[in-house]
Amino acid sequence: MNALHRRDFMRRLGLSAAALPFVAGLPSLGLAAPARPRQRLIIMFSPNGTIPPAYWPEETGTDFKLKEILSPLDAFKNRMLVLKGLCNKVRGDGDSHMRGMSCLLTGIELFPGNVQGGSDTPSGWASGISIDQEISNFLQGREDTRTRFGSLEFGVGVTDRADPWTRMSYAGPNKPVAPISDPYQMYQKLYGQLKDKQNLESILEDVRDDLKKVRPLVSAEDRRLIEEHEALVRNMEREIAAYSRQKLRVGPPTLQEGIADQNDNVPRLSRMQIDLLINSFVNDMARVATLQYTKSVGQARMNWLNITGAHHELSHEPDNNAEAQEKLVKINKWFAGELRYLVEKLAATPEPGEPGSLLDHTLIVWTNELGKGNSHTLDNIPFTLIGGGFGFKMGRSLNLDKAPHNRLHLALAHAVGHRIETFGKPSLCEAGPLNLS
Amino acid sequence: MLLPLWLASSHAGLAAEALRLSGPEIFRQLCAKCHGRTGEGVKGKYADALRGDWSIERLTRYIDRNMPENNPGKCKGEDAAAVARYIYDAFYSREARLRNKPARVELVRLTNRQYLNSVADLLKHFTGSDPDLGAERGLNAVYYDSRDFDGDKKVFEREDREVGFDFGTGKPATQFTNTSGFSIQWRGSLIAEETGEYEFILRTPNGARLWVNDEQEPLIDAWVASGIVTEHKAALRLIGGRVYPLQLNFFKFKEKTASVSLQWKPPHGAQQIIPARNLSPTRVSPTFVISTPFPADDSSVGYERGVGVSKAWDEAATQAAIEAANYVVQNLDHLAHTKPNDTNRIAKAQSFCHEFAATAFRRPLTRDQARLISAQFSGKLLRSAEFHFGANLSPVPKGPKRSSALRPGLAGALEDSVKRVVLLTLKSPHFLYLGLDSGKPDDFDVAARLSFGLWDSLPDPELSARAAQGGLRNCEQVAQQARRMLGDRRARSKMQAFFEHWLQMKHVEDLSKDDKLFPGFTPEIVADLRSSLNVFLDHVTWSDASDYRALLLADYLYVNNRLAQFYGMATNATDDLFEATPGSTERSGVLTHPYLLASFSYQKFSSPIHRGVFLTRNIMGRALKPPPMAQTFKDAEFAPDLTMREKVAQMTRPQACQTCHSVINPLGFSLEHFDAVGRFRTSDHDKPIDAVSDYTTADGRTIRLAGPRDVAAFAVNSEQAQNGFIEQLFHHVVKQPMAAYGRDVPERLRQLFVASGFNMQTLLVECAATAAMHGVAQPTF
Repeated sequence: MNALHRRDFMRRLGLSAAALPFVAGLPSLGLAAPARPRQRLIIMFSPNGTIPPAYWPEETGTDFKLKEILSPLDAFKNRMLVLKGLCNKVRGDGDSHMRGMSCLLTGIELFPGNVQGGSDTPSGWASGISIDQEISNFLQGREDTRTRFGSLEFGVGVTDRADPWTRMSYAGPNKPVAPISDPYQMYQKLYGQLKDKQNLESILEDVRDDLKKVRPLVSAEDRRLIEEHEALVRNMEREIAAYSRQKLRVGPPTLQEGIADQNDNVPRLSRMQIDLLINSFVNDMARVATLQYTKSVGQARMNWLNITGAHHELSHEPDNNAEAQEKLVKINKWFAGELRYLVEKLAATPEPGEPGSLLDHTLIVWTNELGKGNSHTLDNIPFTLIGGGFGFKMGRSLNLDKAPHNRLHLALAHAVGHRIETFGKPSLCEAGPLNLS
Repeated sequence: MLLPLWLASSHAGLAAEALRLSGPEIFRQLCAKCHGRTGEGVKGKYADALRGDWSIERLTRYIDRNMPENNPGKCKGEDAAAVARYIYDAFYSREARLRNKPARVELVRLTNRQYLNSVADLLKHFTGSDPDLGAERGLNAVYYDSRDFDGDKKVFEREDREVGFDFGTGKPATQFTNTSGFSIQWRGSLIAEETGEYEFILRTPNGARLWVNDEQEPLIDAWVASGIVTEHKAALRLIGGRVYPLQLNFFKFKEKTASVSLQWKPPHGAQQIIPARNLSPTRVSPTFVISTPFPADDSSVGYERGVGVSKAWDEAATQAAIEAANYVVQNLDHLAHTKPNDTNRIAKAQSFCHEFAATAFRRPLTRDQARLISAQFSGKLLRSAEFHFGANLSPVPKGPKRSSALRPGLAGALEDSVKRVVLLTLKSPHFLYLGLDSGKPDDFDVAARLSFGLWDSLPDPELSARAAQGGLRNCEQVAQQARRMLGDRRARSKMQAFFEHWLQMKHVEDLSKDDKLFPGFTPEIVADLRSSLNVFLDHVTWSDASDYRALLLADYLYVNNRLAQFYGMATNATDDLFEATPGSTERSGVLTHPYLLASFSYQKFSSPIHRGVFLTRNIMGRALKPPPMAQTFKDAEFAPDLTMREKVAQMTRPQACQTCHSVINPLGFSLEHFDAVGRFRTSDHDKPIDAVSDYTTADGRTIRLAGPRDVAAFAVNSEQAQNGFIEQLFHHVVKQPMAAYGRDVPERLRQLFVASGFNMQTLLVECAATAAMHGVAQPTF
């Protein structure tokens, strides 16, 4: 990376341009007790469809059993809402994977473009904002729910490619938001500035010494300039010291060194990203996060599960290929295991300044771009919700009978007080938000 | 537009009031008791010295109403004016203070321009120098008969002068047979003229990526064509006078049509396709450009200089140092010539740090400095860099035990050490100040003075080597280095900055004119004019003759097709600027360059006063007092059939105005053949233009001026005008008062200048060498 443009630089530091001046520009730690109960949203994505018989509970209502894939979450069953029957009904340009991915959170068509999928017409980016960004914008627009970042986009093994298969989050039409796949980069975004300040603090005394030493070198008339400069340095030292007395709720997590962004490290990268995510929530840096595992058509090779073959290829195998089905169940169950790690951490972390745990104030939506890998259907997209704070009645399995998934997005928006009439393609919102309370 | 009118303020005129007490007498009688004999203040009475920036009028008003404090009625009217004038001239005003205090070479910090250049060159020091660009312009282009830049499908390679192609539904040439698409890669470099924000605009319905000054991260990533959006924009800060790597990859796939246009909007420019003269097929390496904004430098004495430090400046310098530290750490392996897994990485990083500081300080490190840098790598400091934020309120996820580094390039302990060294270095007075030589300059001081004089930047390796060998001990050695350094782009850039200052081009933001009166005077024309002026100045300055007289007397203009049409000149169909001599219109160098004529004009009319003031001060080298009162030119207040000359004459007719306007007006009127957009005209309000007037020289002679060529011819032979130019150039180069370098300096420089045939390069060398050798034993000039 070279020659940063200023805005770019600030962006990479995770600062808005308005965040200057200098020391005062340090991110607000936002540690006061909130004026209203915090509500947080995490959208977790894993690709290539699910294995329906191993995923959907047989029963609906409050009395249901989790199938194999969701079984790692059994301890949290009464905090779960399994939503069968939600369909991505957006049509138009792009193949099912592309629309599955880029319409998943936007609920609106892709623009025509030059990216050719395995079938259908080529397409470009989504033509609208995604629900995570919509909700983040809403929360950032209110004084009492504003945080330093608003939203954070985490990735795990996404691959360094920008196209409709790799992006689900959109800041607006044609504005895909790239997830950060490298935990060290995320660490830098969250804490780099504090680190800079600390490095600065450690050298200021030497700078002052240096100025003291050059003072005798200059004439009496010029000495005043050096003295003024010394005073400025002293002043900065004081300001930084005053700042440093403020405490973060928690320090940054310690990250293991040298974990390269590659397939075999995915389990470790996943935990590092989840740790950073929880950490950023405790320090109230954001209220919305996405956690994207690989990408649509993702080819994770889960060697750590002794699975041979790549995820997307396996997902094309027919239903009667029992071996492939078994592998795919294991793969999907592994994602559920990562979700359990996240949920357990949230449940074990007290909500700062409020009763309960982080989980009581956080809703996780685990989803996928397809209903089923080998048919590429956009019907019955897996949507499993876990957590609290959104006023939904949890501990249920529902069948929503082919409802457009836009209605779920509407329900999420309404639950945080953002009462929009439509989201994404208006004609898919006619029945209004899903009633989940 | 507010028009400062040079109205009153003739001292001589007031001598007629013979019976009154003089200003000094009144001051002694009524004021000195409390303010001291020279306004220095009296303890217990009025302790503060009488110094300030009020105008004489404001002082007069204040004295009239309030002074003396015990009897405000005692000093009124003419008496108040007399005493105000006296204190203003004797000690109150800035000019008086400067006069009373002999000039000296002051300790200064780097100016913003010097800071920006120094940090850029400090990093360039480790990435090697770039090849000469040569004369070729445009970009290298490789065309492929595949959409993915497949080497086997290369059709041809050629140079494209600019990137602006519309292939329609077709292909670049008949040899292209692939039905699914084609691709093109353009590579080379971008030549930036001015410092500031550049907006890049990429127009294409197809896929493309643009890299500028960064070989990894694209500035614009439009690889995915999407919807009807075919315009992509991104901004980037660049330092003027430098060259940056540029690459554009473009491909067509299934889209119906193919087209691509690479445009920019440079500072002071209009959006247009990047012209060939700003592109080169030669490839260069990136330059680090600090993006932190700094508060503007003081330029109250007529040139920018680094006097004074402020909180805003200190914070900017700190933020910039952090920015640089992050850049260094992100590029550490490249800069320190190491690799993430190099077993010598720490040693190489340390040695990089020592060289970094020595380069920034412009001299070998002292033992203390070297020790301080090494100490940043010690275990104790590594530990002290641990976080010390508050207690954990919740179970923080516990990763594996933390080892020494998180990961190369991001947050490891080694990287923190390097960051601290960068911060220490860039915050050090040895980097930030010029003149920490305790009055005994050595070779390294001479080298730094020379490089800041000619480049506004650090010495390059050759100059530093000369200093280390003791090869900068006499004037010839120094002048020889100076001549070598003129060949560098940074010297050109420094001269360009001088011209921007001298010709007052810096703050021209809006040159738009009344579009009913001047249809077609578009932003593109304005941008072309600025380029035309820059190309002209560059051409004259860097030709062998480098003749100052040509700046004033050249009878040609640089025009492109667009300018030629607008200014009614014979057109050669070309988009590039070429030298053209207008037929009947009498042009005379910068005096009649349309850009300047337009900038010294109103939206609807010429402004003889603005033009005249510019000519008086900057071409004739004469001093003008600030106008005692500002008066707005209101066209409606004049009879409608008057010419601009008649209006100005009428407005400045009062005797009080004439002290200055007898000088300003004749010079301004000499340009009346040029309207508000600098076009030649023969009439104004249906009356023939009268550009003839009698001008009184500083020594009291009267000469007849019939137009700009007469003004220019007079100026090039006028010692006063020559001195004015020399002094302005000296101050721009050295950024210290010329008077501090000895009484004989102005005349010596002038004689050298004249003897060299008014060679500006020679003058530049002499200015820089004079300052460089100041205080060095045995100057032999």
